[in-house]
Amino acid sequence: MRPILLQGHERALTQIKYNRDGDIIFSTAKDQHICAWFAHNGERLGTYHGHQGALWTVDVDPTSTLIASGAADNTVRLWDIKSGKCLKVWDFNTAVKRVEFNEDGSRLLAVTEKRMGFLGTIVVLNIDLDPEAEQDDEKKLVIECEESKPTVAGWSYLSKYIIAGHEDGTVSQYDAKTGEQLDNTQVHDVDGLITDLQWSPDRTYFITASKDKTAKLVNARDLEVMKTYPTNTPLNSAAITPKKDFIILGGGQDAMEVTQTAARQGKFEARFYHKVFEEEIGRVRGHFGPLNTVAADPQGKGYASGGEDGYVRVHQFDKGYFDFNYEVERQARAAMQQ
Amino acid sequence: MSKVANEKKDWADDEDLDDTVDALPAQTTTTNKDGTKTIVTWRFNDEGRTVKTTRRIRFTTHKEVVNPRVAERKNWNKFGLSANDGAGPASDTTSVGENIIFRPSSNWRKDAKEEKPEVGSMKDQLKNKKVKCRICNGEHFTARCPFKDTMAPIGEDSTADPAAGPADTPGEASGGLGTGKSSYVPPHMRNGGASSAGDRMGGGKYERDDLATLRVTNVSEMAEEQELRDMFERFGRVTRVFLAKDRETGLAKGFAFISFQERTDAAKACEKMDGYGFKHLILRVEFAKKAS
Repeated sequence: MRPILLQGHERALTQIKYNRDGDIIFSTAKDQHICAWFAHNGERLGTYHGHQGALWTVDVDPTSTLIASGAADNTVRLWDIKSGKCLKVWDFNTAVKRVEFNEDGSRLLAVTEKRMGFLGTIVVLNIDLDPEAEQDDEKKLVIECEESKPTVAGWSYLSKYIIAGHEDGTVSQYDAKTGEQLDNTQVHDVDGLITDLQWSPDRTYFITASKDKTAKLVNARDLEVMKTYPTNTPLNSAAITPKKDFIILGGGQDAMEVTQTAARQGKFEARFYHKVFEEEIGRVRGHFGPLNTVAADPQGKGYASGGEDGYVRVHQFDKGYFDFNYEVERQARAAMQQ
Repeated sequence: MSKVANEKKDWADDEDLDDTVDALPAQTTTTNKDGTKTIVTWRFNDEGRTVKTTRRIRFTTHKEVVNPRVAERKNWNKFGLSANDGAGPASDTTSVGENIIFRPSSNWRKDAKEEKPEVGSMKDQLKNKKVKCRICNGEHFTARCPFKDTMAPIGEDSTADPAAGPADTPGEASGGLGTGKSSYVPPHMRNGGASSAGDRMGGGKYERDDLATLRVTNVSEMAEEQELRDMFERFGRVTRVFLAKDRETGLAKGFAFISFQERTDAAKACEKMDGYGFKHLILRVEFAKKAS
């Protein structure tokens, strides 16, 4: 496969998101704009300007009309995808590290940083998907995390729970309506900060990536760890691929240590694991720095990775990827057909 | 009045006009025999000089059915930093990377592990290796050997003996050297001709490869290495597939080499695949001839 290189950012990438149809990619970096790209040819649709600090996160609503972004300037902004206009700004006390729309796009959660005496919080906002509409100013729900600050969070199936990953390697489950903490489980090591949390297509389970060099597949209902993918490098991101039962992991040693090691040892590769057999099945090289974020195309046709080097690489899988099957999978398929 | 002035230009103006027109010849597009197009464009660079750009392009129409929402989004106007970009990817933000071969495989880790210990063992080998003189087996380089003028290398006398006859025996060292080494002997002829150890090593590699390698000709130009691999893999483990491709067009040139691990598998494949119809062409399969 021949990757498409996107050079829209001058600084390290922080997050990449595909929209639901898989035709547009949104990328954020530590410079101050969001880029929108067409996934099939890498053409840039446009950039969204307005933030005054490093952008940490972006998410697109399920109908591909709005995007939300969170940045180090303590704001969450809502944008019209088509025109690039900023529709709404919500102010917070600290930087916003993660935003995510729920399944129907009616609500948005934002994770704020613990800093300057403020606790790390998860805030829920109401969203009106009409770009013309006046957005609600009120924060519908504020979950304060006293024990350990949340780093990532997301909505489970039917927007029933809010799942958050914490600095101390725990994952907690909150009731999405009341904000009450229902469960808290030590999924990763105590010093293994959870760097990413991405959902399966039906949002019944999710994958967490952690600095403790593992990624784990966790059930959203009871926070049971279903699968573990061990690696030899701190992980920054993990994605679940639709269509094929694979996991994509991205990582590499910290940016500050990059200059001390050769690229070969830097482990700047996207790693592919089999979701069920927990076995590594291949790697894709390309970045010059650690991978900060990976995203899988919801249509299963490709994936994109963003690195500390400021590049986004968009890959379209070729035939070998789709043809790959374990012997047991082949046999099962053959048995099904008979 | 003005009409007349327009039609009949002043000769000085004319020259000026000509100059600018001449400076940028029109873009020319020629269609080549192999279906590619050569596009020659001219532009001014920053220093005001004309630059000729020749691009050779193959157009392939890739049709894709997308849902109406996606199709509508493709027609959206660009905005922000891309507001002034034309249709299609802009060259300053989008480029195409080098091709990456990504074939998921369940024994990926095993393959990678095999690689690493090899490197380690090589290091170990070198660790234990000591400098050894070829003449006296002492721990110094051959060139530094105190006996280098008086004795022939150890290996040489034994192998040279049957081939060269009486010349190089240690007993008549000085005389033997005089006659034996007076003229230049090319490296591959030394040590008694073609059957030297070094030669065998080089030749052995090709030999082994050739033994189980098939030459496939009359391959369709649309063929892919993967397809060939899939076809031949059913006869046994294929170690290497080489499909000759045109460097510029990327189309197959019409022949390929398939290496098997086992010669028996290769023989079977040769027998079965010779005359096999593949992409409207009939394959011809034979054992590859030794590279001369």
